[in-house]
Amino acid sequence: MDSKMFSGGLMVVLALFLTTGCTSTGDTKDDPSAGNPAIQPKSYTVEIAMMKFTPSTLSVHKGDTIIFVNNDMVTHDVTEQKEKAWRSSTLAAGNTWSMVAMTSSDYYCSIHPVMTGKFIVE
Amino acid sequence: MPLLAFAVVSLVAGTAGNAQGNPKLSDAEVASVAVVANQIDISYAEIAKKRSQDADVLKFAQTMIDDHSAVISQAASLAKKLGVVPKDNDVSRQLLADAEKTKKELESKSGEAFNTAYVDNEVAYHKAVIGAVEGLLIPETENAELKSLLQKVLPALKAHLGHAEMLQKNRKK
Repeated sequence: MDSKMFSGGLMVVLALFLTTGCTSTGDTKDDPSAGNPAIQPKSYTVEIAMMKFTPSTLSVHKGDTIIFVNNDMVTHDVTEQKEKAWRSSTLAAGNTWSMVAMTSSDYYCSIHPVMTGKFIVE
Repeated sequence: MPLLAFAVVSLVAGTAGNAQGNPKLSDAEVASVAVVANQIDISYAEIAKKRSQDADVLKFAQTMIDDHSAVISQAASLAKKLGVVPKDNDVSRQLLADAEKTKKELESKSGEAFNTAYVDNEVAYHKAVIGAVEGLLIPETENAELKSLLQKVLPALKAHLGHAEMLQKNRKK
């Protein structure tokens, strides 16, 4: 194998590891097995800062991972709004929590109910 | 308008001081006012935790304790880093004096009357403090890091106000 091809292949493997192998300091992970096997799951980050979720609306595919990062000075959580179907652990400042997106959800911070966001599973 | 909210508004609109009509404060005095304003809301929340049995009110009160404690902790760390010792001043003394009156008023109530008084005071207090931070503390602050901290605190105060207004609206239904 030529060295350029080898290094290119290595980069692809590394990129796949970075997009699928993220871990979190949170403790909840849903089952990603129902995702479309033809589409490689991706990871997206939602920043919690200045009492807002950014981006406040996110479009993802089923099986993608969403990582919530609390960069605020106060504690937050991430809670499904309509049925309280899922919720994160309590996220102290600097902590992260991740979940695998299976269905579109509106969510909010149950500690600060004026903070809301949503993700749309396409 | 609750006494403390009135006091904050009066101080922001005061006549002694700089060209804008605000009292002139040093950074050490701004730090003191910021810490005192947070401590006062914690003290109200502690009364709520003793006197209320309403789950929503109790949850809000705990959030006030947690968030304002986090702000005080950040302010204390920054003051230490900058070598600033918070200094008592007319504004912080007036806030504390009026808070004592509001606390007595709250402690004289119970049940639904307490819940209503506490939530109404939280709405008015946060409006007044937001006005004071925007109109007095941020403009008076010279140190960039202290000014930045005050600017970062504003969204939390506004979220608290929104939360308190939600409680107030739900209680009127």
